[in-house]
Amino acid sequence: MRPRLRAVGMPSPGRAEPLLVVRDLRKMFPVAGRFVTVLDGLRFHAKEGELICILGRSGCGKSTLLKILAGFLAPSAGQVLLEGRPVDGPSPERCVVFQEDALFTWLTVGENIGFGLRVKGLDRTSRERAVERYLSLIGLTEFRDYLPQAISGGMKQRVSLARVLILEPRVLLMDEPFASLDAQTREEMQSLLLSLRRRLSQTILFVTHDVNEAATLADRILLMGKEPGWIRKDIAVTLPRPRAREDPAYIDLCSRLHRLVRD
Amino acid sequence: MTGDMRPRRGVASTLFPWLIPALALLAWVLAGRLELIPAYLFPPPGDVGQAALRYVFGSPGETPYAGRFLQDAGASLLRVGCGFFLAVAFGIPLGVLSGRLAPVQGLLGATVNGLRAVPGISWLPLAMVWFGIGMGTTVFLVALAAFFPVYLNAAAGARGVDPLLLQAGAMMGVRRFRGTFAILLPAAMPHIMTGLRLGLGLSWAYLVLGELTGVPDGLGAVIMDARMQGRIDIIVVGMILIAVMGRGSDLLLTSSLRLCFKSARRLS
Ligand SMILES: Nc1ncnc2c1ncn2[C@@H]1O[C@H](COP(=O)(O)OP(=O)(O)O)[C@@H](O)[C@H]1O
Ligand SMILES: [Mg+2]
Repeated sequence: MRPRLRAVGMPSPGRAEPLLVVRDLRKMFPVAGRFVTVLDGLRFHAKEGELICILGRSGCGKSTLLKILAGFLAPSAGQVLLEGRPVDGPSPERCVVFQEDALFTWLTVGENIGFGLRVKGLDRTSRERAVERYLSLIGLTEFRDYLPQAISGGMKQRVSLARVLILEPRVLLMDEPFASLDAQTREEMQSLLLSLRRRLSQTILFVTHDVNEAATLADRILLMGKEPGWIRKDIAVTLPRPRAREDPAYIDLCSRLHRLVRD
Repeated sequence: MTGDMRPRRGVASTLFPWLIPALALLAWVLAGRLELIPAYLFPPPGDVGQAALRYVFGSPGETPYAGRFLQDAGASLLRVGCGFFLAVAFGIPLGVLSGRLAPVQGLLGATVNGLRAVPGISWLPLAMVWFGIGMGTTVFLVALAAFFPVYLNAAAGARGVDPLLLQAGAMMGVRRFRGTFAILLPAAMPHIMTGLRLGLGLSWAYLVLGELTGVPDGLGAVIMDARMQGRIDIIVVGMILIAVMGRGSDLLLTSSLRLCFKSARRLS
């Protein structure tokens, strides 16, 4: 087992820069001969160990933002800095869990999880040890040799999570990863995510349009405005964990978020 | 996944696909017995069976076609093998490139479609002038015919790969070269396999065409030669053996792909 030594949520007094800095981001797409601005003047910082939810209505540019952070898209203007270095293309230090499952159908669950380590050139024994560990973290030890087509949607998202966590990314990017799951599975996945990040001290940027999901997960909620997309509000969530849905403070937060999202 | 959950196949459903062949055979036997068709046009199954046995297992020289099978089959296999190999060696790389890279598609697309419009048979006279009768012409025809399905399916497969899979690979540290072999080809495997099987099927068709032109050996040559000698039984034997070898080579192709590639083995 490779211990992770990053502390969760600790203000790092020694570090001048936050882990992730997003500065005045603009993104334009050419549509029918002219440019449509999807993101404009979008800026925020993320600290090591934070779980930040980016909340916004559909179409406000959340996925576009995440693709820029992942390095799949280049911004039209502005900058993304990770530990002071500008983001330039995809890299294992910024991994994504997509909404749709993007597992390799010709590899088993275990092979999918070990894929990134194999690309890294890790030897077979260390790879298998790491895969076993992450399989048990996501509770799918018995499913190691199954093909993706033989497991449920929730299980596939667990595997998608494990195959990037195993690479110990500096930031984990998640784009509505539980949106296509049924309510019960979604709740299970939310608790799984919270317990994993407690154990692994993972910094997470979690995109969602679901107010309750943001209130359940986030240390901080960045509320996105639309047309063009920007960060309208930066809300620190101080509710204690584990969060109970019956807690009046939780219900309060949800209805406040509902109102904010609506207008 | 669990074997014991699968519904059992009854004897009836196992035999069912053989119903039509069995009826056809019966009709063939009856047609011979009742002398509905004269034997010089279509000999009864018994005669054809005997001719087949002599052709395959007889000692050479005993009767005109006895024991020639190995030599003919070997010659035909070599021609199909060489032609199909060329088709694959060009078809898969070019297909994958043109499926992924717009400039390559722009360069090759129109030309390939133009060439594809020329019926394969009409290359025969030109091929005979260029390569002479025999190996060269046959290999050329086989390679040309098999190239198109191999190329087109590889291109369609490569083009249709979900961009999400390539993005997922990129974020896990995969560079282009590795991505081609670790993600692109496995993801395109179902199409590639279809193209290979179609191409191999066409290879046998064009093999026969190439061998009808008066080469001394090969299964196509045997049926043409048998026509000159009026040996209908040998024509039928040749046809059946070509079918058997075509089917056999298809099985060999799919099983060796399955053996070599996880992505072929794990096709749903
Ligand atoms: N490649 C693209 N070309 C043109 N328009 C795009 C492209 N990608 C996204 N958009 C537009 O940008 C807006 C935001 O899209 P997206 O980031 O997917 O929103 P969200 O994830 O918040 O639902 C949408 O109006 C969408 O039509
Ligand atoms: Mg989206």
